Amino acid sequence: MSEPNKAPAQPQQQQMVRFGGRPGGGPRGMMREVEKPKDMKNILRRLLVYFRTEKTLLIMLFICVVVVSLSTLAGPSMQGNAIDSIFNKEFGILPALLLAMLGIYAVNTAFMLGQSLLSARLSQRIVRKMRHDLFEKIDHLSIAYLDTHSGGDIMSRMTNDVENISQTISQSIGSLFSGVMTIIGTVAIMFWYCWQLTLITFFTVLITVVVTKVLSKVMRRTYKHRSIVQGKLNGHSEEMITGYRSIVAYNKKEDVIREFNDLSDELCSVSIRAEILGGSMGPIMNCISNIGFVIVSAFGGFFAYHNLITIGTISAFILYAKQFSRPINEIAQLYGNVQTALAGAERVFEIMDLPDENNEGEIPMTKVEGNITFEHIDFSYVPGKQVLKDFNMEVRPGQKVALVGATGSGKTTIVNLLMRFYKPDSGSIKIDGVDIFDYKRDDLRDHTAIVLQDTVLFSDTIAGNIKYSNQEASDEEMVEAARISNCESFISRQPEGYDTYLKLAGANLSAGQKQLLTIARAVLSDPSILILDEATSSVDTRTEKKIQDAMAQLMKNRTSVIIAHRLSTIMDADKIVVMDQGRVVETGTHDELLELGGRYAELYQSQFAGLET
Amino acid sequence: MLKYLKKYWYWCVLAPVFMFGEIAMDLIQPKIMSSIVNDGVLNSDVELILDLGIRMILLVLFGGLCGTLCGVFANLATRRFGNDVRKAVFSKIMNLSFSQTDRISTGSLITRLSNDVNQVEMMVMLTLRMAVRSLCMFIGGIYMLYRISTHFALLTIGALPFVMVGVFFFLKKATPMFAVVQKKLDQVNHVMQEDVAGARVVKAYVREEYELNRFDKANDDLVDINLRVQTLLAFMMPYMNIILNLVVILLLYIGAIKVEDGAELQIGDLMAALTYVAMILHSVTFVANIFQSITRARASVARLNEVLDCPDLIGDGDFEAAKAVVGDVARGTIRFEKVSFAYPSSPDRKVLEDIDLEIHPGETFAILGTTGSGKSSFVNLIPRFYDVTEGNVYVDGINVKDYELHELRERVVTVMQKAELYSRSIRENIRWGREDATDEEIYEAARVAQADDFIRASKDGYDTHVTESGHSLSGGQKQRISIARALVRKGEILIFDDATSALDLKTEAALHKALRAQGSVMGTEYSQMTKIIIAQRIASVRNADRIMVLDRGKILAIGTHDELMESCDLYQDIYRSQLKEDKKGVTANE
Repeated sequence: MSEPNKAPAQPQQQQMVRFGGRPGGGPRGMMREVEKPKDMKNILRRLLVYFRTEKTLLIMLFICVVVVSLSTLAGPSMQGNAIDSIFNKEFGILPALLLAMLGIYAVNTAFMLGQSLLSARLSQRIVRKMRHDLFEKIDHLSIAYLDTHSGGDIMSRMTNDVENISQTISQSIGSLFSGVMTIIGTVAIMFWYCWQLTLITFFTVLITVVVTKVLSKVMRRTYKHRSIVQGKLNGHSEEMITGYRSIVAYNKKEDVIREFNDLSDELCSVSIRAEILGGSMGPIMNCISNIGFVIVSAFGGFFAYHNLITIGTISAFILYAKQFSRPINEIAQLYGNVQTALAGAERVFEIMDLPDENNEGEIPMTKVEGNITFEHIDFSYVPGKQVLKDFNMEVRPGQKVALVGATGSGKTTIVNLLMRFYKPDSGSIKIDGVDIFDYKRDDLRDHTAIVLQDTVLFSDTIAGNIKYSNQEASDEEMVEAARISNCESFISRQPEGYDTYLKLAGANLSAGQKQLLTIARAVLSDPSILILDEATSSVDTRTEKKIQDAMAQLMKNRTSVIIAHRLSTIMDADKIVVMDQGRVVETGTHDELLELGGRYAELYQSQFAGLET
Repeated sequence: MLKYLKKYWYWCVLAPVFMFGEIAMDLIQPKIMSSIVNDGVLNSDVELILDLGIRMILLVLFGGLCGTLCGVFANLATRRFGNDVRKAVFSKIMNLSFSQTDRISTGSLITRLSNDVNQVEMMVMLTLRMAVRSLCMFIGGIYMLYRISTHFALLTIGALPFVMVGVFFFLKKATPMFAVVQKKLDQVNHVMQEDVAGARVVKAYVREEYELNRFDKANDDLVDINLRVQTLLAFMMPYMNIILNLVVILLLYIGAIKVEDGAELQIGDLMAALTYVAMILHSVTFVANIFQSITRARASVARLNEVLDCPDLIGDGDFEAAKAVVGDVARGTIRFEKVSFAYPSSPDRKVLEDIDLEIHPGETFAILGTTGSGKSSFVNLIPRFYDVTEGNVYVDGINVKDYELHELRERVVTVMQKAELYSRSIRENIRWGREDATDEEIYEAARVAQADDFIRASKDGYDTHVTESGHSLSGGQKQRISIARALVRKGEILIFDDATSALDLKTEAALHKALRAQGSVMGTEYSQMTKIIIAQRIASVRNADRIMVLDRGKILAIGTHDELMESCDLYQDIYRSQLKEDKKGVTANE
């Protein structure tokens, strides 16, 4: 292509570029706060692991990007050729040129489509893998971790952070590839044309980068301030709307509304400040790039005047200089997104780096007698706040042992330790003479069933929920379990019986019915050891009776540990252990303890004699 | 919704005005740039370059200023508007009646306040900035094209239907898919949330693998639908490109014919025409995108309007007039007169039927009954959380409907089963009951509520911070703090709506004993308050002055413990099942 031919195509090309580069209204990518990952290198390395298995996709994507970039570069210059041929009255070659253009456009379009499809595939595959890994990790986290970390936080890593990574991958990879390619290509051509002007161009680009850095630092501070205020407002409104009933009951409406309005006003003014700053970014960058253009033109004219370079070179050079700054701006914008995504990835990896739940112990558990001993157990959840102090207890095979005590005396902790949810600080728990940490963890749990105070059901059918404890159980066994646990009558009243789907983990059942289902689940698992955290405080007496009957059925011929909230359930226990502040204070049967006239008798009196304690 | 924007109409007008300035500069600037190249650089005329360059930079500065100002005004309008809407919605939420919040769940209210308000804000911002811009670009582009050549203009207009059909086809197909994506995403979150919340059960039954499979299924579903959406949208840009490129080729072809026919067509004109075509077609895509976001925002507007348009169901009555008629009645009297009640959501199912009853000042009145017997509904009518369906409720001789709500709820204090505490210190949580309560009064209330001991035992005592929704406290501790909060309020009627369910019996007994104790230190005569207690356990209510047994919304019996033991079968039933009297005898009763 001869140089004079190139000149006429310039203004058009420049405008096209401008249109694509800045769709008006300021850079959107800058609107949100950019977070920085702490250890960029490490995060990148670990993310790359996910890409490693997608080599084919990556290579195909790369090919698409190369073709698209090349054809995009070729398009405008062919357009210029066509225009030149029109005005040079060379109509003979025009049809051929137009057809060639059509061909280039077709190739461009086809590969652009391929690029989008491939990057969508790539990002979705990677995100699926990442979500899978993250869930698998969460699945294997220790109860101790889950108890001390909010579910909402873990959830937001699954949704926000992973989603962020997905979007960044699908949007950025193509642009990054083609951006880098265009930059390398143009820089090479520019150097080839005139190195002096290239250096000058670099200078203006440098200014742009510096200004962006300074401005975005200021902006980041404002945006950060805004997100703090936003967080405060969200927190306040969530707390107040959830606690709405109390607010109404206590005549607090005015105060709460006033507080909310103050926060809302603050957010409003911070947002305005932040977005005005953000909105001025675009025009400022625009000015700088235009000043750069004038500088290059002026020097170009000056050089040409002194015959250092030809006029054609300048015009071509300007064209490429313009093309050079576009991907740089784009990458600068992407940079923010990528950083935010990487910060998200870092949070995801933080979870993945957590240790798995303790899985030590090799001894398989086959036949269980059910002899449980707690020997000198000390335990604290938080260092310094001891929950159990030298706790000792023995449960003989087939025995029914009840734990009694005030709230906070450590009853529930016993369940946590026996199930290996937590590890005692010192002392040991033995089943049939073997420390439970020497058994295979899953074996231990297979032989133990728990019914918890908080009923846990899953969004599944009733049948699915009962069979949760024993996937291999037949339908007959399941129905039998439901019968034993007094579930039958209410299940048959459900629209689709056992196939009724429990919406939102049992929102369509009463608290009592849910509890009965969890008992049926425990029955079906046919455990050797049974742990019941008896909780019927929110259930009326008739339903409670049903639950107690069901529990009694369940406990037949099994070693059972019951955490009792009402003494009526446990009068016939083989042994009652009275706890106070992490210690055993009394042990014995109901009658023995009454005779003793100690703590148990006092508790018992209060229940029987009502308020006159 | 628009009425909130009306207040800021001047900014809404100013924003597009300055937008015009920016667009004008945008249209002129390329011309100068091309003349810098054509006249300055090609002729090596440095002076001209500098002259034109300075002019261009000034223009760009001016355009930038206009653009920035447009942004400023659009921002002022949008944020202020959003702020007003947010405040209006919040204040409305706080003024909803219980029946209305039952219908729209609190979770949904929270998302409406944050997400939906944001959506609407976004739409206003987008309209103020982009819609005007795109429209100007579109019209300006067509006009400029028309000035160059009628044929070019016609050609472009001819291409528009294809663009529009394409855009709307894609958006129409994609929009419902976005809803599915949201649903599948919820599903993924749901499985995850169940797994975390039920971790103990998952682990106890060794179901980790099972859960992972369940999650993978949800995950695959989400990936599937996401891929389908992205695949669909991947076709959109290439489609637009094909049309744009075809138009360019046709335009060049027509241009060639014109030049061959000797028509007056400058080289710059042809190039400008190509620019304008791109501008026009792009602006159509923009408008389509804006249209899509407006559709999405319309759903948000509807959800906000649903809240804002809720009628004020429960409002103030003419208290002074009612008081004048009634005169003075002993403080703390409650009377139910032929009261029936059904929840507005199911008007056919009467929860309470034909209740006639008087509760006397200073009385301890207990209510017992199975779940669903109407206990909570009964007490909710007294502070007028709900309005009766038939009949009347009187407090101190005045119909609750004639009270100013503020006054009524000063007198009637309710302690709910679910203790809602706030993230501030324990002291402030208790003082929340009455702002001017002294520290002494707070300690006293906590002592009576059996909370003093454990509060003092915690690290910072009364200044211990209650973390969000009180995770740091046990259920029983939360309930005791919320009882203290109610006590410090010093109302004349105190309602315990199953508010002691998480207390062990001993603590509960101590609480009731303290409440009965005559003349406490601060002169707060808790014993003189009328107390209504809903409870599940007979032991909790046994010593009440009277016990009412409710069964399916009707009063089955009222009397003292001993009377009910004689006369009421259901009461005896409950008693027996709780105390296993039949099994062990009442040996321990004395």
